[in-house]
Amino acid sequence: MAFLITCPLCGPRDAYEFRFGGEDKGPRPDPETLSPEAWCDYVHMADSRFGVQKEWWYHRRGCGTWFTIYRDTVKNIEVSSNDREADQ
Amino acid sequence: MFLKFNRLWKESPLKSSYDAVIIGGGLHSLAAAYFLASRHNIRDVAVIEKKFIGCGAAGRNTAIVRANQRTQENIPLYKEALDLWPILTKELDFNLMFYNCGNLNLAHSDAAMKAFRMNVATAQFHGVNSQLVDARQCKELVPALDITDRPRFPIFGGMFHPPGGIVRHDAVVWGLARGGAKLGVHIHQGTEVTGIGVKNGKVAWVDTDKGRIQTTKVLNAAGAYSAGIAFKCLGQRLPISVLTIQAMVTQPLKPLLHHVVSSGAYHAYANQTLKGEIATGAHMDPWPNYTNQSTAHYIKHQAEAIGEMLPCLRGVKFMRIWGGLADMTPDMAPILDGNVPVEGYYMDCGWGYFGFKSSTVAGKYMAQYVATGECPEMLKPFRLKRFEEHRLMGETAALVDYTANN
Ligand SMILES: Cc1cc2nc3c(=O)[nH]c(=O)nc-3n(C[C@H](O)[C@H](O)[C@H](O)COP(=O)(O)OP(=O)(O)OC[C@H]3O[C@@H](n4cnc5c(N)ncnc54)[C@H](O)[C@@H]3O)c2cc1C
Ligand SMILES: [Zn+2]
Repeated sequence: MAFLITCPLCGPRDAYEFRFGGEDKGPRPDPETLSPEAWCDYVHMADSRFGVQKEWWYHRRGCGTWFTIYRDTVKNIEVSSNDREADQ
Repeated sequence: MFLKFNRLWKESPLKSSYDAVIIGGGLHSLAAAYFLASRHNIRDVAVIEKKFIGCGAAGRNTAIVRANQRTQENIPLYKEALDLWPILTKELDFNLMFYNCGNLNLAHSDAAMKAFRMNVATAQFHGVNSQLVDARQCKELVPALDITDRPRFPIFGGMFHPPGGIVRHDAVVWGLARGGAKLGVHIHQGTEVTGIGVKNGKVAWVDTDKGRIQTTKVLNAAGAYSAGIAFKCLGQRLPISVLTIQAMVTQPLKPLLHHVVSSGAYHAYANQTLKGEIATGAHMDPWPNYTNQSTAHYIKHQAEAIGEMLPCLRGVKFMRIWGGLADMTPDMAPILDGNVPVEGYYMDCGWGYFGFKSSTVAGKYMAQYVATGECPEMLKPFRLKRFEEHRLMGETAALVDYTANN
């Protein structure tokens, strides 16, 4: 179900040019204070939310940039960050 | 001319309390409800379905069943599932159309043959009929295969699993629904679960758009929606990526394909339905979402793959394409657990694209789990904690990873 993704350098491009990079989980946890639970949460766990989420993409067949966008998982379309506040 | 027919199950009013509430109206829910009622005499059960039963992956899958998995934890579960089809056909008095035509899995390299050798040994150890075959035997099984070195991925040999095949997925939905309803299970269609109430660390109620239900036991078996529901209702995060998987059928043809044929290298599988269509699938777009959308991109991919695998199908027309959801875990094994994060909450999810073949057996053991509160031996390896303990199962040789590095 291809759709468009907006690369910050190249603009809106076909989704098949990109690789999904996972839900945005914030910064990598500090190894000093890390518990198995926190590590598992960071590595494996996901919100899988119905609606708008912040997520990483990589312009693999393009300029190679990593960036985040907001996407509505129920409609499978990119949305502006403002829609996220409206969704919550 | 038109026969009067009776409904398979009757509509019942939504009560304000049930002994157990099951979220979703797919195969896993209906199976769990049926086994709760038939094996544990727990009949005050509500199956809550947002739209209509079978509208999810239950009615969208390609209905392939087999028990030649890779690990010792998974094989016994799938073997029992395979053994259950004839038993349930009799017990439910419903023709599930189990067609055990056998599955042929193609290898396109020496490395793939070696991997199959281990799979076959594991299956045989567990009493499952699975055999290594060479390229000539593949050709004998499926004369339409090209075993020369012309195709993009030449055939080195394969793994043949005679007891697997195809089951009519809708029949399983209807048979289980009728069987459960006869024993007193309430099936509420057009009803959405919107929340789960927790009191003192225990499940206390389930909220729906038609009202609140008091209950102490809830089973989340909403297929690929389970992960989103767990997060929305309990804030529980799961190691699941929900991806759309697509399938399609060709125009009907004379019988030419007598087994299910699959190939990891082409990323495609195909079988001929009893109507004569070639049903084929496998593609997933690698970004999580909750749509059932299908793509032109995939029609092209599938035409190329099938045209190489079975050259006689070149030029045959695709008639229909559709999509459904698959909830993928990193180790390609499901999550079957209870009393996490709260007492009385049970989950049966993470089946990816293996949730049809396993639906009845998962329902059987989850019913036992819900009825007794004790995890059955069979389900112990599948608990959620395995991810934290780094005890992922080896159903795939490499971790499934939807991030940018593969
Ligand atoms: C194209 C495709 C091909 C497949 N091929 C195979 C195959 O060949 N072999 C195999 O073994 N497996 C296959 N699968 C996987 C298999 O179909 C699924 O794993 C399995 O059907 C999931 O279990 P289920 O039937 O219980 O889920 P579903 O049928 O998805 O049931 C979930 C139900 O929950 C409902 N729901 C969602 N949210 C709520 C809510 N809030 N409240 C109430 N109800 C809700 C939905 O409407 C849905 O009806 C395939 C899947 C797809 C999509
Ligand atoms: Zn770019």
